Amino acid sequence: MLCQNCEKNEANIRYTQIINGVKKEIALCSNCARKLGIDDLKMPINFNSFLGDFFNDYAETEFLPMLQTNELKCKTCGMTYNDFINTGVFGCSDCYEVFSNPIDSLLKNLHGTSKHIGRIPKGKAEKLNVENIENKNKKEPAESKKEMLQKELEKAIKEERYEDAAKLRDELKEMK
Amino acid sequence: MNWYLQNGKDSDVIVSSRVRLSRNIEGIPFVSKCKPEELKTVYNKMQEIIPSVGYGLKFISLKDLDDLNREALVEKNLISSEFSKSKNPYSAIIINDEENICITINEEDHIKLQVFSSGLELENLMNLAIELDQKLEELVPYSFNKKYGYLTACPTNVGTGLKVSVFAHLPALTITGNIRKFLSAVNNLGMSIKGVYGDNSKAEGDIYQISNNQTIGITEKEITKNLKLISQKVLEQEKMARKYLGKKGIDLEDKLYRDFGVLSNARKISEEEARELISNVKLGTDLGIINELNDTKISELMLYTKPASLSLRVGKKLSVYEQEIERANVIKQILSE
Repeated sequence: MLCQNCEKNEANIRYTQIINGVKKEIALCSNCARKLGIDDLKMPINFNSFLGDFFNDYAETEFLPMLQTNELKCKTCGMTYNDFINTGVFGCSDCYEVFSNPIDSLLKNLHGTSKHIGRIPKGKAEKLNVENIENKNKKEPAESKKEMLQKELEKAIKEERYEDAAKLRDELKEMK
Repeated sequence: MNWYLQNGKDSDVIVSSRVRLSRNIEGIPFVSKCKPEELKTVYNKMQEIIPSVGYGLKFISLKDLDDLNREALVEKNLISSEFSKSKNPYSAIIINDEENICITINEEDHIKLQVFSSGLELENLMNLAIELDQKLEELVPYSFNKKYGYLTACPTNVGTGLKVSVFAHLPALTITGNIRKFLSAVNNLGMSIKGVYGDNSKAEGDIYQISNNQTIGITEKEITKNLKLISQKVLEQEKMARKYLGKKGIDLEDKLYRDFGVLSNARKISEEEARELISNVKLGTDLGIINELNDTKISELMLYTKPASLSLRVGKKLSVYEQEIERANVIKQILSE
């Protein structure tokens, strides 16, 4: 059998990957295996790319209209979406902003949630509060809450969380 | 005395505890995307601030340590094996004499702040880690995002940046054939548990590491509490299994004393064999069956039978064959002290 990657050399490594019960199998020659970083027999699965695949799978789900994410690139460090898929690590703090959408689903998958509720650096706590106040000053509080609920509602419907959607709808009704 | 030679709370089962915080400095890319001068900035900045942090911390450049000393740090679980092989000239550690604080610089993240203790000591360790973290954050601005918390290169650490872990010695659960069931139970509770030594099929020396998976959407307090609860469950189950083993009376006594006999009389011994025998001798000592040893001696045996620590104790780099002979000598020395 020929290597499924280069289709030139004889394949001598069979690589199996199981993610969330979905099994993918590929036959590779030792050259390609080395290139793909899966020739290390002690550690047949490269955890980093493993994580990246997770990310990839999520990007492909229909929940997230993110086909253009593949083009995303962090201006600060030059990290692309594909770089993350390959390495499993981000390049800089700004990547978290640039790739915010797929990161949310990745974090939900890894941790069950994507919102930090732990400690805050001392200096940062003040800054964050100032930001909050500024935001509040910009808009009427009631107005912005309504908007937020409306957004949440749309999101809930899109994600087919109908129970949540019903609750949000009722809340909105009360406000009107 | 170094923390790893000390005797801690419940250290018959929970050998040691560790708390680790991953941090990055604001405005500098994460390590994998850093240019050499940016790595140097992190390195210089940390070197500059360390004297004002206190705790007797010293800044040591990794390039100033030879292979043996680097390897010994890995054997004491102070740094990872990957980091010890780092070719990056701006890799460093910040460490105190007791070695219960070890901060790595320019590993995967700019700063990995780690504190250690023997036994089950999670709350005290957490407090110490936060104390240190607060001192550092006054001196270096951390990369932090309102939504995602402390930003880390790998998304498995983001949020609190906190990994709490314990090393547990579980020989009785292994001997009674309950270990597999037990491992999957712990995994189901959102923790990861794995053998520390040997390959995946067998945890050599019956030492397992348990750590939290979730780092975001959970507070530091909850992570610590959850790990403590799990550790206490582990302790309880292992003790139950030991009680059951104790009922075997003379059979168990015979097995453990035979292992003690081999360990104390061997003229040459491999690392793996020593580890297996020490595991059983520790069990025998903890059960009160073997009276020739104490906890400190067990800790010394565990440390000085590892290749680099052994070579450093003997005072020269040893080949594998020489190690086997010296290992048997050192074991005899420790036993007769």
